[in-house]
Amino acid sequence: MIAQTFHWIIVALIVVQVTLAEMADDLPAGMRKLTLLARHKSVGITILGLVILRLAWRWLNEHPPLPENLKRYEQALARCTHVALYVLLFAMPLSGWMMSSARGFPVSWFGFFQLPDLVPKSRPLYEVLLVTHHTLAWTLFVVIGLHVAGALKHHFVHRDDVLRRMLPFTRS
Amino acid sequence: MHHAFLSQALAATLLGGTVLAAAPPAGSHYRLDPAKSSLQFTFLQAGAANTGRFPRFMVSLDFPGADPAGGQLDVVVYTLLLDTGDQDRDATLKSDDLFAVVRFPQAHFAADQIVKSGNGYEAIGKLTIRGVTHDARVPFSFRAAVEGGANVAYMTGKTLVRRLDYGVGQGEWKATDQAGNDVTVSFSLRLVPPAHPGSAQTNN
Repeated sequence: MIAQTFHWIIVALIVVQVTLAEMADDLPAGMRKLTLLARHKSVGITILGLVILRLAWRWLNEHPPLPENLKRYEQALARCTHVALYVLLFAMPLSGWMMSSARGFPVSWFGFFQLPDLVPKSRPLYEVLLVTHHTLAWTLFVVIGLHVAGALKHHFVHRDDVLRRMLPFTRS
Repeated sequence: MHHAFLSQALAATLLGGTVLAAAPPAGSHYRLDPAKSSLQFTFLQAGAANTGRFPRFMVSLDFPGADPAGGQLDVVVYTLLLDTGDQDRDATLKSDDLFAVVRFPQAHFAADQIVKSGNGYEAIGKLTIRGVTHDARVPFSFRAAVEGGANVAYMTGKTLVRRLDYGVGQGEWKATDQAGNDVTVSFSLRLVPPAHPGSAQTNN
């Protein structure tokens, strides 16, 4: 139940993140862009916090094993995808945070408190981090695609409960 | 500067030698050493501190020793050249809705009174930003030193300026959620004697 909640909140926040980023990208410098980017940063830090809590939860609690009928390469693929998801969900906000520091726009979490700068102010470093952040985003989309494909395969091909047990309002 | 000096000279002439001691001692007039001075500003953007600097400004200070009465401070800041290290942010700050640097390329602080305050001093005068003038008091600490035979001084301090008092924030920028109203201006100055002793530095 807790794991499900983490999962779907993070999904929703990723959708919010992409929307905010796309909206801000099209705008000229100005208040509206600043507002959207400030939200994007706050939501990003929220995701970072949730991913840390999610990993702590996963570490402290037993999580359901993969179905036994999976082939070894399928098990390996599932593991790799999950590891990649966690790494990317960690690296995305972190690279964004570093990007903000490098550009001299420190991050505040919804105006409640300011986070420390991770790297010194540097335009060249910012440019590198910007490309990194975008590359990680595209990589994340690919891995999410794999993750969804895997879930659908469990449901429609293997006909197991792997997808169903992650859906809200269902109990396996 | 001229005015105070002239009136003191006049008083000295009228009253004879007794008030000569009140005339500013040598080295009481200073100008800025730009290479070793900084003037910075900090404001909150969506709750996070943003910092910039004014790389070009001029200072003229009369500081007649331990008793600051008769002191004067004049500071001209070229807002036109403000620098936050980010082109977009600089352009936004210079735009018509904020500093409007095309119409108002300078800010000006003219203090005709310096008083002791706490452990330091306070310059009392008029601050003009974006064509709007208000009374302002700027606290500072002052330390005179002799370096290489020259009378120099170090002056540091910071003061709070509410940008909307001066109209820095028109239209959507009147809102303070994205750019806070409170701007902290801090300075660390090295002051040196005027280039040509006896002549006041002019600011224009």
